[in-house]
Amino acid sequence: MFFFRMIKGAYIRQWKKMLIIAVTIALGASIATAMLNVMLDVGDKINQELKAYGANITVVSKSASVLNNLYEIEDDGSVEVDEMIKENDVGKLKTIFWAFNITDFAPTVETSVTVGGEKHKVVGTWFNHTLKLVTGETVITGVTNLRSWWEIKSGRWIDEQASENLDVAMIGKSFAEKQNLKVGDKIDVSGRVVDGETKTVSLKVVGIFEAGDESDDGIYAPLEKVQYLSGTENYVQKIEVSALTTPDNELALKAAKDVNSLSIAEYELWYCTAYVSSICYQIQEAIPYTVASAFRQIAESEGDILDKTQLLMTLITIMSMIGAALGISNLVTSSVMERSGEIGLMKAVGAKNSQIIILILTEIFITAIIGAVGGYFMGFGFAQIIGHTVFGSSIEMNGMVAFIVAVIILAVTLVGSFPAIRLMLRLRPSEVLHGR
Amino acid sequence: MSLLEIRNVSKIYGELKALDNINLKVEDGEWLAIMGPSGSGKSTMMNIIGCMDKPSMGEVLLDGKDISKESEKNLTSIRRDKIGLIFQQFHLVSYMSAVENVMLSQYYHSMPDEKEALEALERVGLKERAKHLPSQLSGGEQQRVCVARALINHPEIILADEPTGNLDEANENIVIDIFRQLHKEGTTLIVVTHDPEVGEVAERMIRLEHGRIISDVKNENFRG
Amino acid sequence: MNNKRTKMFLKMITSSLIRRRSRMIIALLAIVVGATILSGLVTIYYDVPRQMGAQFRNYGANMIFTASGEEPLTQENVEKGISYIPKNELVGYTPYRYETVRINEQPVLVAGTDIKGTEATSPYWYINGNRPTANGQVLVGKNVANLLGVKVGSTVEIHYYDNEAEKSDDDIDLGTTMFVTGILETGSSEEDYLYMSLADLAEITEKVGSYNVVEISVSTSGANLEKYIERIDSNVEGVKARLIKRVTSSEGAVLTKLQSLVFIVTAVILVLTMICVATTMTAVIAERRKEIGLRKALGASNSSIVGEFMGEGLLLGGIGGILGSVLGFVFAEIVSVNVFSSSITFRPLILVISVVVSVIVTGAACLIPIKSATEIDPALILKGE
Repeated sequence: MFFFRMIKGAYIRQWKKMLIIAVTIALGASIATAMLNVMLDVGDKINQELKAYGANITVVSKSASVLNNLYEIEDDGSVEVDEMIKENDVGKLKTIFWAFNITDFAPTVETSVTVGGEKHKVVGTWFNHTLKLVTGETVITGVTNLRSWWEIKSGRWIDEQASENLDVAMIGKSFAEKQNLKVGDKIDVSGRVVDGETKTVSLKVVGIFEAGDESDDGIYAPLEKVQYLSGTENYVQKIEVSALTTPDNELALKAAKDVNSLSIAEYELWYCTAYVSSICYQIQEAIPYTVASAFRQIAESEGDILDKTQLLMTLITIMSMIGAALGISNLVTSSVMERSGEIGLMKAVGAKNSQIIILILTEIFITAIIGAVGGYFMGFGFAQIIGHTVFGSSIEMNGMVAFIVAVIILAVTLVGSFPAIRLMLRLRPSEVLHGR
Repeated sequence: MSLLEIRNVSKIYGELKALDNINLKVEDGEWLAIMGPSGSGKSTMMNIIGCMDKPSMGEVLLDGKDISKESEKNLTSIRRDKIGLIFQQFHLVSYMSAVENVMLSQYYHSMPDEKEALEALERVGLKERAKHLPSQLSGGEQQRVCVARALINHPEIILADEPTGNLDEANENIVIDIFRQLHKEGTTLIVVTHDPEVGEVAERMIRLEHGRIISDVKNENFRG
Repeated sequence: MNNKRTKMFLKMITSSLIRRRSRMIIALLAIVVGATILSGLVTIYYDVPRQMGAQFRNYGANMIFTASGEEPLTQENVEKGISYIPKNELVGYTPYRYETVRINEQPVLVAGTDIKGTEATSPYWYINGNRPTANGQVLVGKNVANLLGVKVGSTVEIHYYDNEAEKSDDDIDLGTTMFVTGILETGSSEEDYLYMSLADLAEITEKVGSYNVVEISVSTSGANLEKYIERIDSNVEGVKARLIKRVTSSEGAVLTKLQSLVFIVTAVILVLTMICVATTMTAVIAERRKEIGLRKALGASNSSIVGEFMGEGLLLGGIGGILGSVLGFVFAEIVSVNVFSSSITFRPLILVISVVVSVIVTGAACLIPIKSATEIDPALILKGE
């Protein structure tokens, strides 16, 4: 067909111009692809980063949460087992609807102990504990991730994976200074008196940390050691949970006030969204005798920062897309205008306007499609570069992006051709051919 | 000494001999028409005389100086100083007014001078159209602007390539009248054309065919 | 005399720009967009730490003052300490004074504070009800409220004994009745306190003046905070300043990531935009090969052609750069107002740089096609259609 011969001719003879257009469209498409992908994934990425702030949910037993004897605690380090959570129940956290969003968690037992004749606080917890779930999966979790702001002054974190002797402890900086302790020293810790016998362990200091809060005055040790000291084997006091959450909105606030006030549809929506309140609610469903509460300082600010970051990225994305769109339509316009001579000639030999438009559009669109496909893959690369340089992990590619980019490129190309086509239609062949 | 002397010039493109051992002398003040069908070598000849191309063999003496071996850069400056060009397609800068187009030539030659440029336009009868853009001028007027541009720097040779090719008869006559005027003033004119009417008004006419001069005649009826 | 040449030169350039309007607008548009993106994104890049830093203050205080010696903190030395923190970086500070009181014969921890100030240093507090606004009102932590069984609108009777041991049944203490305006929820230890104004606490305890802790929220980087702390510790007697590491170190990490994200995005977009400007300029110049041929035929040397067309390109780059830089600033301002609800800092240097970069990029983009256009043989261009 002659039509295709013309197009083929245009490509063979004007390959340089077509290449420039294709390259520009590819660049535009790659910006759009990269930015959209980064934009859609930035929430998750920043959320991961914000986990550095530590736990945003704490879980305690219902009876403990009432705190009816909070200020009357007897100072013998006793902890009542009926106010505690069964250690076996901790793994149930990973069975809730939003289990995947729970990044880390650690059960703790805190008790008062005697070290060198003085009363001190010791916290027993998991550091990087291997936990077998009912589903058969295993997870490694603990405070090593939840206390990422700790500065290890000397020594190292306790490593439960290294199958070392668990008679170890990490101590706070102030505690170390007061007691004049170094890494490698042994401390004798005496806990509760049961049946006339004082429970005692000897722990080796493996690390000294600075947390910038009251934990600097205390001791951190493996959970089982502290459970032994306080006589609460198989029970934990509190679970700290770090979960990826969606920023609160009206619905979440309404649910936080009273879940029963939600309509069924609202409830479904709320339950299936990773609001901190719905995650808390689900934790309470999984371990019914507990109360899970959001640590507002973390939960609130995270939501805010997440929102801002996403909005920022969205605006930058919009701006760069406008830039790309203008760049493309610009070039399409100028390249079509450039061909006024050829078009005048076509008109002179009797081409109808519609025929010219179809010819030009076909050429441009073939170029655009080639450019857009190339650009999509380039953008894929850019997104990964951004992901790896900034967050050290790949950006998830969203299938929707390909569709959006395709629509944008086609629309931009069409709009870009429009002014040029209008101009060409007004061309009078005689003018063009006489070089005016 | 002749103003322009071409000695044994050949121009070869691969297999094709566009010019084949041409010898030609043009005297100062002469009005020469170079004629021939297309493909006869007219354009090649014009390019060589206009310092836009170099011969494959032979010498081109302009003012007694051989320019056939000059570098492109020197050719540019010789063209600027000695030759005024007029094209079939006019080739005016579309966004400059008539007077500015004339001044452009002055600018590259020496110094733009609006007064002089206007005088040149006056000579071709376009003084009152000086501020118009090429698109606002008729074909004849555009070509007259080109003539004014060509003669503004007082070149030794005005070289016109099919100057009337795009013009109707009325405009053709106007341009030819201007040429007559220039000839009277002593300007050397070389007009490349395939139009006999344009060729026949010249003082001398050579005819090219297949790259050779097949005739070289003085115009008996020349009315200077 | 040279004046005339310069005048002609300028005239050629400007008439090309003015009379070839539609083409020039296309090129200009490309440059303007490029410059807008450049100045907009770079401005945002530089402003992100400041703006985000302010956002991070939602985490509340990142520094605390405690007493360094035996003497408690006084208003005087706290204010002296605060004076070492630049005013524009100080988000707020709140002093706390802790006492134990009895309500319904139960011991309760009371924090006397600047209630209004907690809005700045503890913005994450969720209050069911309102913050106290007048004397005689208290804010009750959730756990305390559960313990005492009080609700918003209840009253509490507060008894204070200077020395618990001296307490005797003979003392007829009517206590102080206070009105509960709100229940505080934070998910952490703040829920175990009862909050009232310093004035009320002074009245109940009949003691004025000293603080236990001062919480300070400063909008700056961790390194700067360390500097302030060092200065305060060495210059202000009786005050020990400390970082709240959990907040500062995490904040630093997130901020660095965010800034490098904006940086790399800016870099990628910039490179792509520059290529776009370059391709557009290439197309614009390529269109004028014929004109370049004509100028050569008229005797223009290569260098003068490069000069003229570059002049045009640079002028275009300059105009586009100025327009774009201003637009970019407007864009950055819009982003800032929408995202951070605050105005952006005006940085004249960025404007200057983006104009210069626009000129350079446009110039470089023009140079290659112009150079290649001067290679053309005028005879070929002028002969053919």
